[in-house]
This record gives sequence, C-alpha cells and structure tokens, in this order.
Amino acid sequence: MSEQSAQMGPAVEVRGLSKVYGDRQVLRGVDFAVRRGEVFCLLGPNGAGKTTTVEILEGFRARTGGSVTVLGLDPATQPARLRERIGIVLQECGFPRQARVGELIALWRDYYPHPRPLGDLLEVTGLADDRNTPVRKLSGGQRRRLDFALALAGDPDLVFLDEPTTGFDPEARRKLWGAVENLRGLGKTIVLTTHYLDEAERLADQVAILLNGRIKIAGSTREVARLAALPSRISFAAPQALRANQLAPPDGVDLVVSGNTASCRTRAPAATLRILLDWAGRHQLGDLDELAVVSPSLEDAYLHHVKSTDGEPRA
Amino acid sequence: MKALRLTARQALMEQRNFWRSPEYALFTFALPLFLLLLLGAANGGSYLPGHIRQIKVLVPSILAFGVIAAAYVNLGAKMAVLRHDGVLKRIRTTPLPAGAYVVGHIVSTVATTLAIAACMGVAGWLVFGTAPRLSGLFFLASGLVLGIVCFAALGLAVSSLIKSAESASPITNASYLPIAMISGIFDPTIGVPRWLSGAAAALPIKALAQVLEDAYTPAHHAFPGVDLAVLVGWAVAGAALATWRFRRQLA
Repeated sequence: MSEQSAQMGPAVEVRGLSKVYGDRQVLRGVDFAVRRGEVFCLLGPNGAGKTTTVEILEGFRARTGGSVTVLGLDPATQPARLRERIGIVLQECGFPRQARVGELIALWRDYYPHPRPLGDLLEVTGLADDRNTPVRKLSGGQRRRLDFALALAGDPDLVFLDEPTTGFDPEARRKLWGAVENLRGLGKTIVLTTHYLDEAERLADQVAILLNGRIKIAGSTREVARLAALPSRISFAAPQALRANQLAPPDGVDLVVSGNTASCRTRAPAATLRILLDWAGRHQLGDLDELAVVSPSLEDAYLHHVKSTDGEPRA
Repeated sequence: MKALRLTARQALMEQRNFWRSPEYALFTFALPLFLLLLLGAANGGSYLPGHIRQIKVLVPSILAFGVIAAAYVNLGAKMAVLRHDGVLKRIRTTPLPAGAYVVGHIVSTVATTLAIAACMGVAGWLVFGTAPRLSGLFFLASGLVLGIVCFAALGLAVSSLIKSAESASPITNASYLPIAMISGIFDPTIGVPRWLSGAAAALPIKALAQVLEDAYTPAHHAFPGVDLAVLVGWAVAGAALATWRFRRQLA
C-alpha cells in the first residue's frame, strides 16, 4: 500500500479476523472499520475477545487468520513502524520509580521520529507544574495524566485506550472524558475499550459489540440502540384523578401508575405522545407535568444484545 | 546510529536513577567497601599457607563480591521490579528497540560496576597498601570484563524468573550469598567438604575471585584458564537464558 492511500484509507480495517489459542477459538471472523478522526468503542463482556482484538491491532499478538490494517500498515509484519505512529494507554502500567515527570516525557519523546513539543505535552495533560516532581509522589489522577503524556509523546495519529477509567471516582472520570474529547479535537483517531456503557455513549462516535468472538452489532450509539428495537419510555407526573382511579387511561396506551409517576413503553413514541396529549387536553390536564420521553440507552441495547446471545453455543 | 544514541540515552537515565535511589546506591556501593575495611582490618594481617598475606586475597575476593553486588544483584533486582511495575510493558508500546533498552541498562551497570571496582582497588591500596601486580593487570582487566558480562547476564536471566517485586531483592541476594561463602569470598581460610569446594569451583563466583586473586598475589599460579572458561561458560548460559526470556517479554 502506498503512503498516499495509507493516509487516505480508514485508520483501522479488520476483515475476517480470527484467533485460535490451542483448541479454543477466541475470535471467529471479526469485521469492523474505524474512520480517521473518530472515537471508536469496542464493547463486550469479559472473555468476548476485546483484549485479544486490540492486542492484535497494536501488533502484540499474532492473528490466526483474516486481514488487519492499522494506519495503512500490517501490525503483524510492521510493528516497529506502526508503534511510531500510535499511542497506547494501558491499564496499570508503572513508571521507573526514581524518574521525574519532565525527564520521563523527554526520554519518551526521543523514542519517536516526530515527537510533540515537551511544553505542549505538559500543557495538554495539565502537568506543567509537576515537571520536576518525582513520579512516586504523583497522585493517582496525575499518574493517569502522565500515562496520557507518554502515550502522546510521539504525536500519534491513533490512540488506544484500554479501560481508561476503571477504578476512577466520578470526578476523575469526567476529567478523563474531557481529555479524550480534547484528543478528538486534535483530530486523533481513538480506539477505546470499556466496561462502562455510559462512557461509550458519552465518548464514542461508533461502537461495536463483540460477543463470542464476533461483532454482534456495530454502528453509531444511536443506530445500535435503534437496532435493538427496544421501546422508548414516556413518563409524566400522574394527575390526581388518574391516581385515584377516577380517570380511565387513553385507549391503546399501556399506562402504568407507580407512586406519583405514570409511564408507558412504546415503539412509536410520537404517535403515543399525540394520543396522550390529546387525552390530557380532553380531560383538562394541561401539558402533563414532568413529561419526558426517554429513548432506549446504549446500556439497554447492550444488555438486550448480550442476553439474546446467551443461548448461542460458544464452542 | 539512532539505536546507539537511544542506548546511550537510556544508559544515562539509568545512571541518574541509580544514584538517586539511596537503597540501591548504598547497598551496592557502601556494603562491599565496608566489608573490605572490616575484614581487612580483622584478618588482613595474618598469613595464608604459602606465606601470602591474607589481605592480598581479601581485596580481590571482596572486589569479586562488589562486581556481583553491582552487576548481578543490582541489575537483576532492578529488572524484576521494572517488570512487575509494568515499565517493561510500557516500553513495549513504544518504538524503542528492546535491544537498545536492555543494552542501555547493561551499559549503566558496567559503569556502576567499574566505579565500585575502582573505589575498592583504591581503598585496598590506600588503606592496606596492596595493589595488583603490574603483570597481573591482564588478569584484573579480563576478570572484570568477563565478571561483569557474566553476572549481568545471570542477573538478567534470574530477573526473568522472579515472580514479584517484593521478592526481587531477597531472591537475588539469597541465590548467591551461600555460594559466595562456600567459595571463601569472605574468609579464604574457610574449610568446606571436598565435594562442596568442587561444586563451588564450577560456579562463577569462585572463578571470578580466583582470576582477580591472580592479579594480586605473586605469580605462582598457572594461567587461570579453567576459571576464565567457567566465567565464559556461565556468561553464555546466562545470556542465552536472558535472551530467550526477554525476547518473549519485550519483543
């Protein structure tokens, strides 16, 4: 593949990827593509093959079959060239105990042909004030930022994030999400694995759910949620008359009253909404207080897909 | 050329890290020096069979101990800690060639070991007035070079077998101290059963001490061919094991 097409093609292209460990087939024909500049999230339960897939993309693991192209390179045959252009943030990776922040980033910059300026790295990771701090004195959050600084030292086109917020408190998670959005703003392509569906929903442009060694479903978070064909939920504050059983709910709407809230599930939220508002108008209930329409979340869709695969044979 | 520059860069960083951590620097540097002064003051004046002053054997023996402390214990424990801290895993994510990384550590270890050997040589001369023979300098040089290579290789090899950061120091120390004792490193007059001294002679500690001793004691020995061969043999074995293990862990 020429440099030109390597620049233009998708950041990652995986076709028919398979991996066999001994007599266990972990990946059985995985297909997906990651466009340049997008945040792609690989989801799936433990043991689905997420880590194996990502390690094959990073050039750490050999594949059994199929084709893989990352930034126009084959990670199996050109791992060294590939690593000059990718950044990897792994879980639980340590630093040399006696090193200091600035000199460690400076050392890392020397590993790459086209590094980002040191000041720039310290700036975007918020470590400018900790340049001379020994790494063993860093807090957990600062260590994570140093992880990012080292992964970005080579000014990579593609960044792999492996469960970046596992074990984080909510504030630290928000900060890290900000950092990822920052990366996207810089035009980086990001491949993310995570257990947290809200994280995927928040960050990802595209998600793919890996189940039993295959991509069960892929697309934007909206598409994935829609393809699960799960109902939306409409809820509103239940009027007094409805709670007291003095008012019949509208025909064709399966309204459930629970405490002060009335809700229903529907696959046609617009039509249902029209019926409800019409019914409310007829009974002088106004616009229905606290009216809310909630589309199925990625989490709902994910759980639906995972559950519907449980019955399939694994071997 | 670039790999060479990266190796030098890594070696400099490791040197800086070494001198920054008091536990490494103190243990590796001060302990052999302290032992030399202590044992030299206690037993240095007595005579060994053949009318050799004991200090002439003690200085090269403790010199061998210093080489082992710096090359084997220090490098082995450090590599094991780096692995268990996940630093090696992180290095793998970069384009830095594994060879440049490992050789950088070895170069730094050579520098540390030569520094401690020089210190002990000078201490032996200034405090006890004993120096290597001029004609023994060849043995001193070849002993140091082969000793460093051999024990650095064995250090790397053993580091790949250590299962946790906590056990890094105990394992590296416990794996050579008993052998150093039966090899007579701390007491050249120690008496051990013949089979045990035979076993010790096939191990690199005794061999290194013998070669260095030949640099200090009057030339009444034959050429220490067997000892040099033992060192070369262990260096090759250690390097082979280390290469095999590191290729799997760093490639």
